[in-house]
Amino acid sequence: MPVTHSPTHGPQLTAQSSQPDEFCLMTDSTISRRQFLGAVATGLAAAAIPSALIAQGVQQGSGQQISAATNMAMDDGRYRPVRLPSKGSGPSMAAKQRDELERHIHCQCGCTLDVYTCRTTDFTCSVSPAMHHDVMALVDGGYSAQEIINAFVHVYGEKVLMAPPKRGFDLTGYLTPFAALGGGVALVVALLRKWRPATADGAPVAELPVDATPDELARLDAAMRSDDS
Amino acid sequence: MILIGELSLWVALLMAAWGTTVGFAGGFTKRADLVASAERALYATFGFVVLAAIGLWTALLTSDFSFEYVASYTSANLPSIYKFTAFWGGQSGSLLLWVLILSLYSGIVVFANRHKNRELMPYVMGTLAAIELFFLATIAFGSNPYQRLGWVPPDGTGLNPQLQNPFMAAHPPNLYMGYIATSVPFAFAVAALITRRLDKQWLAAVRRWSLLSWFFLTIGITLGMWWAYVELGWGGYWAWDPVENASFLPWLTGTAFLHSIMVQEKRGMLRKWNVTLVVSTFLLSIFGTFITRSGVISSVHAFAQSSVGYWFGGFLILAIALTAYLVGTRLKDLQATAQLESMVSREASFLFNNLLLVGIAFAILWGTLFPIISEAVKGTKITVGPPFFNQVNVPLGLLLLALTGIGPLIAWRRASVANIKRQFTGPIIGGIVVGAVLLGLGMRDPYALIAYTLAGFVLTTILQEFHKGVGARRRMYGENPFSALFRLIARNRRRYGGYIVHVGVVVLFVAFAGLAFKKTFDVTLKAGESFEATDPFGHQWRFTSQGVSSYQQLNRDVTAVLLEVHRDGKPAGFIKSEKRQHVDSRGFPTFNPSTEVGLKYGLRQDVYMVLAGVTGTPGNETAEVRIDFNPLVVWVWYGGLIMAIGGLIVMWPQAERRKVQAGYVAQLAPEHEKAIV
Repeated sequence: MPVTHSPTHGPQLTAQSSQPDEFCLMTDSTISRRQFLGAVATGLAAAAIPSALIAQGVQQGSGQQISAATNMAMDDGRYRPVRLPSKGSGPSMAAKQRDELERHIHCQCGCTLDVYTCRTTDFTCSVSPAMHHDVMALVDGGYSAQEIINAFVHVYGEKVLMAPPKRGFDLTGYLTPFAALGGGVALVVALLRKWRPATADGAPVAELPVDATPDELARLDAAMRSDDS
Repeated sequence: MILIGELSLWVALLMAAWGTTVGFAGGFTKRADLVASAERALYATFGFVVLAAIGLWTALLTSDFSFEYVASYTSANLPSIYKFTAFWGGQSGSLLLWVLILSLYSGIVVFANRHKNRELMPYVMGTLAAIELFFLATIAFGSNPYQRLGWVPPDGTGLNPQLQNPFMAAHPPNLYMGYIATSVPFAFAVAALITRRLDKQWLAAVRRWSLLSWFFLTIGITLGMWWAYVELGWGGYWAWDPVENASFLPWLTGTAFLHSIMVQEKRGMLRKWNVTLVVSTFLLSIFGTFITRSGVISSVHAFAQSSVGYWFGGFLILAIALTAYLVGTRLKDLQATAQLESMVSREASFLFNNLLLVGIAFAILWGTLFPIISEAVKGTKITVGPPFFNQVNVPLGLLLLALTGIGPLIAWRRASVANIKRQFTGPIIGGIVVGAVLLGLGMRDPYALIAYTLAGFVLTTILQEFHKGVGARRRMYGENPFSALFRLIARNRRRYGGYIVHVGVVVLFVAFAGLAFKKTFDVTLKAGESFEATDPFGHQWRFTSQGVSSYQQLNRDVTAVLLEVHRDGKPAGFIKSEKRQHVDSRGFPTFNPSTEVGLKYGLRQDVYMVLAGVTGTPGNETAEVRIDFNPLVVWVWYGGLIMAIGGLIVMWPQAERRKVQAGYVAQLAPEHEKAIV
């Protein structure tokens, strides 16, 4: 059933889905938070009181199509055309730049690869070649890399990007690890400042048991002295 | 035998339940008979799990398709070696492998500690038996490999073609041996917390097990990367996939522990931290299993989504709650006996090394979970792929590489300016020379330049340490350089084995940075057509298609393209890539076609070719191929091997007499530094 998106500005984008969203594979294989939390609670109960009534696990090989490149379930119906009218100014970039651009666009077949890698690896995938053709058409139509990315995001959502955008809440994704590390460094420095006065007397290092004669110690010391000099 | 195996699974479950009960009861009541019963229960569990495993292997090797597991993961025409490895090709079989290794480890722990650590052992056994109980219950009630179909299909589905690879015979068992070995330090940590015996005793008991875990994880992860490289066909070996990340997390925290344990041994510090690291490493191993099996996060390597994931989720939460309670109520017993004196000291550098390792682990965990977090907050799905992980982890990784070189150069307790000057001059010059030479040769990639400069610095550090050690031995004992080097390593395996591990780390970073210069070409070739390309080192390559051919081989129909290769005008052999359609014994296709990569390994670069598709009519086909020049990839495997060798040297048992001498040398060195200053 055709779906038309009407952007608030910019050219009209038309997206067509061959299957309703509820049939998308990701909906099948990804669990909602409520389902997940409920199931974890069930798991807790199961761990506490093992019961023969616990359902058997779903075995692999249920007939779902599996990507040859990534061993993941694929859904060819997840492709949606990304089309914009040509600007008439000729191609906006060379083939190499276009390939590089495709490395930033996530193939929507259900794999974990970008469009370029998927289409040059997995000949069982029909989604990445279709997305590639859309990229080529947009490049030929004179659209810049950013405009093409925006068009894909408009149709597929931000999941079409290989990495979340550095804005809004997603910016925390990039900043949190460094903030946590910074916090750790601050903590270590604070602990050092707190500890240092307590042992400023330079008490000797706790010794390990040493079974060596004074002569041996003297020889080793002499050897290391000459080694360091 | 199959029936015995099936029954043994249930008996093993009962044995593990008994072991858990009498283990803890024996510890709390101090009753020796209960403790002895727990020991016997753990041995018995191992015996019955072995029988259960033999039963499943028998069913697989005899193609007994009345079992759902056998029918789902094998076919009659599957080569026997893959019928054997199909044991861990599916959910329930891999869980049985897990508990098989765990029960083996448990038996070894009981035997090795029959005369020592007696106060800890009841709780150690209780904890190990409880983990076994969890896995056996998950198998018996959640994912039973002995589940029968009720009818016998004429043939099985067959094993996923990508698992029909020699690497898959070795990668999962190694990874599991690494994951599962974290259970032993965890059990000792729980025992030490319960008994409040948080001195060095439990640390001594777990150090070798932590090393064993690290060793197998290193091998398992390296083999996994190699498998991904040759089997998946996308041209790389690490995609920051959630399951790859999950295997890396316990490796990182385990590595942090192996460094921080030295601080506790030498200075009595970081006691809370070490307990936390041991517990975290185990929990992250379970977390990795949870991710692989729950379907919560999409992954290349995940098993089919099943209820088993929730068992793991529940177990994870229980384990976190119990250990948090134990640590929280024992904080006073975990006070350090000494304190840090200077920011410029070996122990401080270990602290920062730990901070970075755990920081990287956190960054990876955060990135792995961020799609769920973001969706919960924003309500929209996002993808967190390699660009995110590279942006966050590459700077942290480079910092870690720098610390790999800095740490060994700084004295314990407090380093003086003179010490720093003397120790750092050579390595800094080494790093600068490497960076300058590469800059002069035209290298401009900033991350690669930094990586190679740091690699030069770290390598010079290690060489300097070996040079000093060998020099000292030559002066003391008049040995020739080779025997001095051999004895230096043999007499102080921890220290110099550790340096060898660091060499492996440097080699890995050198290889990782090489990918900055990767070159990729997409071409379509008819028979007789050629394609020319220049590799990253400036050599000219010509690839001439010998045509597309189709043939049958073993349990598959193959479509292959063969390219004749010339390098700088000279013949360089052939390279072939295949698409394989696997079939069952009746000739019916079993899975979607899979890729077989064409590879020419080289020390400087690999030539990597993938048949992406075939168009045209029979006899006039056009092959669509992708050719990658992957610089330095082979050094990833060598780096992993060097690390494993270093780990093996560190782990190798040392005679008591030599231990004393090693301690003496290690101890004297920093003291000697002080004396000179």
